[in-house]
Amino acid sequence: MEPLAPHEKIFVDSDIVEDENHGEIACHECHGGNPDDPNWKTAHKGVVRDPTYPDASTACGDCHDEITEHYPKSLHVSLRPYKLTTDTRANPNAVIRNKLGCAMNSHCYQCHSSCGQCHISRPNSVEGGFLNGHLFQKKPPMQAVCTACHGSRIQKEYFGEHEGAQPSVHRQKYMKCEKCHTGEEMHGDGKEYATRYEVENGPKCADCHGQIYERDAENVISHRIHKGKASCHVCHAQPYNNCSSCHVGKDKKGIAFYKTKGSWFDFKIGLNPLKSDKRPEQFVTVRHNPVDRETFGFYVKDALSNFDVLPTWKLATPHNIRRKTPQNASCNACHGNASIFLQEKDVEKTERQANKGVIVPANLIPRKQKWQPK
Amino acid sequence: MRCVRFVGFVIAICLVIIPGNPILGKAYEDTQCFVCHTSAKKLIEITREIAKTRPALKSAETEGEG
Repeated sequence: MEPLAPHEKIFVDSDIVEDENHGEIACHECHGGNPDDPNWKTAHKGVVRDPTYPDASTACGDCHDEITEHYPKSLHVSLRPYKLTTDTRANPNAVIRNKLGCAMNSHCYQCHSSCGQCHISRPNSVEGGFLNGHLFQKKPPMQAVCTACHGSRIQKEYFGEHEGAQPSVHRQKYMKCEKCHTGEEMHGDGKEYATRYEVENGPKCADCHGQIYERDAENVISHRIHKGKASCHVCHAQPYNNCSSCHVGKDKKGIAFYKTKGSWFDFKIGLNPLKSDKRPEQFVTVRHNPVDRETFGFYVKDALSNFDVLPTWKLATPHNIRRKTPQNASCNACHGNASIFLQEKDVEKTERQANKGVIVPANLIPRKQKWQPK
Repeated sequence: MRCVRFVGFVIAICLVIIPGNPILGKAYEDTQCFVCHTSAKKLIEITREIAKTRPALKSAETEGEG
């Protein structure tokens, strides 16, 4: 995403005084600094760029206390899944863990959100800048906020930006992120979830498409047969982006950087690594995520000594849904079609142990069907 | 006459007390923060000055998709 010009990032629209809710809050009440000092250098002493992170209770809590109360546990703020997965893979040695923590702070934990970085400015990860002259945006704009961060996978999938791919059918219906990912989900409900898939008020296809199992619904037989066995994405996702080998470090000037080996476009059905009451299906789409044994090698060797305890092919919910896909064109487009299942040969030798619970053994690949529903 | 004076007095008080009225104004509109941050010209001058001394935000070594 193209960054804003430096002055555009901090230009305040004078219409903010007309905001009946926020228009009477003076700048320094949230940001600090000296509002009477005509010298910008000294006036900015003590200024807080984002007064809503990590604690939003002072800046927003007077009016939005029901949100700021739960906000620290929102996954966009806590980044708890990053922490849990890294801790699980981490070397138990205390010195190594300490260095790993420093690396996480310099890289992974920089990619968070906040009240301000959704409702007032672009996220810091895309260099920030006010969305609309510091006017408060009740609903964050999709492309300046959501896909500014979720760009390489979600954006390209949803908008159909990959060569040969079509946009999600939901995009073609002009749906924005908030249609499925509500404010309540984003703000958190006070519970500490281990993954986004656990979030109780997270999106479920059946919230809108519950009627697909009804007797007179189109394709009811296919939907009923596969209910609880294969996730919706198994039949309705198009090929999606996979990444590998992310390495983080700092350059000669001390500025953090990352390097990924590459990305590729693929579609793989794997065994569900996160089976739960909410997601009971045996088969789900899986995506290779960019973690590597030596992701943090710049900071400390062997930081992820327990690398093999978690899969590198993770449960995925590609955002490129179509009613008709190559794998649902007929029963046997999927049944007996081993190439779309994650097999041992698809996984790097060094990662096979980590992915043994996700790889689909030959005997579990559904056999070709003689009978086809009409 | 008294009644007219009283009504006039009440209106004058209301104009001063009611939030958002043009007589009371918004104190922070006069602050340096507001004066500078609503002036593109001033911001361009200041951000150019900052750019001369500030290091790059992103490393040139970053490669690939994040």
